[in-house]
Amino acid sequence: MKTKWRKASAVIMMGTMLTVAGCQSDNAATKEETTGPVTFSLFSADPHSQWDNMESPVSQKVKETTEVTIEPEFDVGGGEQKIPLMIASGEYPDLILPKGNAGKLVDAGALIDLTDLIEEHAPNLKKVYGDYFNRLKWSGEDESIYILPTSRVDHTYWAPGNGFMLQHDVVKQLGYPEIRTVDDFENAIREYKEKNPTIDGQPTIGLSLLADDWRIMISTTNPAFYATGAPDDGEFYIDPETYEATMHYRRPEEKAYFKWLNHMNAEGLLDQESFVQKYDQYLAKISSGRVLGLIDTDWEVGDAQRALREAGKTERMHGMYPVTLTEEYKHPNFQDTGYLGGWGIGITTECEDPVRAIKFLDYLASEEGQILQNWGIEGEHYTIEDGKRVISDEEMNERNNNANYVKNTGIGVLSGFAPLYGDGVTDSTGQTYSIASPDQIINAYTDTEKEVLSNYNVEMWKDLYPQKEEFPVKPWGAAYNMQVEAGTDLELIMQKSLDVVKKRIPEAILADPSEFDDVWDSFMADLESAGVEQAEADYTEMIKDRLELWE
Amino acid sequence: MESVEKKAHTKINRSAKTQHRFFKTMKQQKYLYAMSVPFVLWVLVFNYVPLWGWTMAFQDFKPARSFMEQEWVGLANFTALFQDERFYLVLLNTLAMSIMGLAIGFVVPIIFAVFLNEVRVQTFKRTVQTVSYLPHFVSWVVVAGIVTKVLSTDGGIVNEMLMAAGFVNEPVQFMTKGEWFWMIVTLSDLWKEMGWNSIIFLAAMAGVDPQQYEAAKVDGASRLRQIWHITLPGIRPTILVVLILSIGHLITIGFEKQFLLGNPIVVDYAEVLDLYALNYGIGLGRFSYGTAIGIFNSLVSIVLLFLANGIFKRYTNQSVM
Repeated sequence: MKTKWRKASAVIMMGTMLTVAGCQSDNAATKEETTGPVTFSLFSADPHSQWDNMESPVSQKVKETTEVTIEPEFDVGGGEQKIPLMIASGEYPDLILPKGNAGKLVDAGALIDLTDLIEEHAPNLKKVYGDYFNRLKWSGEDESIYILPTSRVDHTYWAPGNGFMLQHDVVKQLGYPEIRTVDDFENAIREYKEKNPTIDGQPTIGLSLLADDWRIMISTTNPAFYATGAPDDGEFYIDPETYEATMHYRRPEEKAYFKWLNHMNAEGLLDQESFVQKYDQYLAKISSGRVLGLIDTDWEVGDAQRALREAGKTERMHGMYPVTLTEEYKHPNFQDTGYLGGWGIGITTECEDPVRAIKFLDYLASEEGQILQNWGIEGEHYTIEDGKRVISDEEMNERNNNANYVKNTGIGVLSGFAPLYGDGVTDSTGQTYSIASPDQIINAYTDTEKEVLSNYNVEMWKDLYPQKEEFPVKPWGAAYNMQVEAGTDLELIMQKSLDVVKKRIPEAILADPSEFDDVWDSFMADLESAGVEQAEADYTEMIKDRLELWE
Repeated sequence: MESVEKKAHTKINRSAKTQHRFFKTMKQQKYLYAMSVPFVLWVLVFNYVPLWGWTMAFQDFKPARSFMEQEWVGLANFTALFQDERFYLVLLNTLAMSIMGLAIGFVVPIIFAVFLNEVRVQTFKRTVQTVSYLPHFVSWVVVAGIVTKVLSTDGGIVNEMLMAAGFVNEPVQFMTKGEWFWMIVTLSDLWKEMGWNSIIFLAAMAGVDPQQYEAAKVDGASRLRQIWHITLPGIRPTILVVLILSIGHLITIGFEKQFLLGNPIVVDYAEVLDLYALNYGIGLGRFSYGTAIGIFNSLVSIVLLFLANGIFKRYTNQSVM
């Protein structure tokens, strides 16, 4: 009876504390370092299709060395709902990859300052960030380090990430026409679709777009940047001379781009379900091999491309072309941003043992850890010949073609949790950290791809694009990973304009061509009444602050 | 004088007596009381203690600050809410969809239960009942996937059938028609919940005295007459209780259906209060604003509940409270 009462009163106490307290911050530095096996919970705002439960050979090895087990939760909603709920309840995982929501966590006092921890316990992390260490600082007012950016450092890009995509069979059948402007793209799709009204017995789909939740920005609105020669800076276009921010839809060039999409729809070349379909339906459709054209990123359609490859339909896979609105623009996919910083991993106040956590991340960033995440285990996934790491043809084939390779071996499963060197960076023995090299990339192409590329007289997809050297380095990095402070007007206006965009862009594209201008005008008017001009001013301010902080 | 005193005396006496009796019964029924304690505590802890959180609606709440440090802003959050045009739009959507849901999702299960009750073959009745309530256990994510697929322009069965029958020449884009969205939500909900919602009515019908049917048969009443004069009046109290409670829930319809079935084109018809609270409240870290919406919801629900209850009490002499 007595214990019952105690329990009941404990429940009441808990209830009261939850509602009243909300948050209590502990001083992380005073917590003691433990030894022995430890488990860290982790929340990631991105899904992880290859998670191995830390049971694969490579993850087992990491576990043996660090005695750390990760218990993750991968969100499908980009953390947009989960993270605010965490803040409301005051219950955080030990480690968190919040993507764009780090600002809210910092505002709630949920993340600990990592500066001293890195200084004392993480020599490898320090080495990896090198000269970019300044870019980790939160803001001019608060120079703490809350987030360790996980994007690859000093990455050399050998493959384009953004572009207009066409099935290999389309260009092949049409005799490899030049694909440079949206008109070329449109004509190729039209011609092929007329000749092949069905593929595998089902109706051919010309161009399919995706507008599922936040993905509308990836496949529908961001390409408007690229097609008009501007790099992706989130929702804002940053003038490279004056650093003035403009909400990118307000540029006249982009109106022309969306007008072209409207024209595609009127011509019957746009998938009727573009703005209705969910992500999985989109992938399933592409995997069926009857979508001729896509305007997307490599990572968003990667699963579908792998599925096509596994099914042996290599001619139905898509090649990526640097298409722009007209020839006066250059596709800026390869424009250098310097090191991006921004999105990454943080340690929360809930973490009992921040020292072990930072040491774990430090291990992943060490030479040993990075080779493990990139190459695998010596003798199992690669061998050393004449002091060089070599991957056998058989293993390489498996790597390229087995859709579950990452999950089965564990190679790269943990690589998203810590900063690693990018492609092309060499280790202490002079070999690259990652396995990617131009040769390796070319070897991974299918025969169909090689055939297509040779007919365009290039070796790699990258060669079709304007090269990095043709563009100036962007001194502000990329504006899309700037953290908008929680609870500000800017945040509210951004949400409102995003709602306007989500509604008006599909409306404009699907409108009757004669009504396009009217819809566009009301779109602009809606943005203005949402307060876009103030947002632009605030954003310009933020860009300038960032430039100062990074100097 | 004396009589007054005496009266007063007896009054005190009596109240002392009733008090005495109260404690006596309490003592007699101590086990019953003890058994109810956990549930009373449950309600206190989970339903009343959280009400403390309502204070947030009157603050500019920041999670990093303690309660004493919060800044009090009075009704500012409510003013902002009532000045937002979008709020009225989502309120309209919420009420439209819940009233449609109530009208259809309430009547159809009753009719369905009546029909099922008339079926003589027990095995058939059981099978239909089980099959019809199974969709209740399917999550909305899956249901939304099925609905989108069925209504798809790309080989969806509804469009295929319409085309085969010659009603339309090209596929109808069901999911892009904003004005149809409310109906699509209502009908999917009906499909999912009809069987489940009819269970309670079937149970009530099982309680109707068979002798009444026998007497009606002797009097020469047809099947329809029996339904009208015996079955339906027999389950009237159940119908009323269910109706009053659903009216109380009119405004809190959740957002799963709308969120999963919606898409950017129909957003003006699909966004409901709960989703608005999520996007513009918690989603932006505006906890106070979200709480203000929550309070508004609760107040409307309470008013609706009392209103419905009052009306029914007046006209039918039955109520849930």
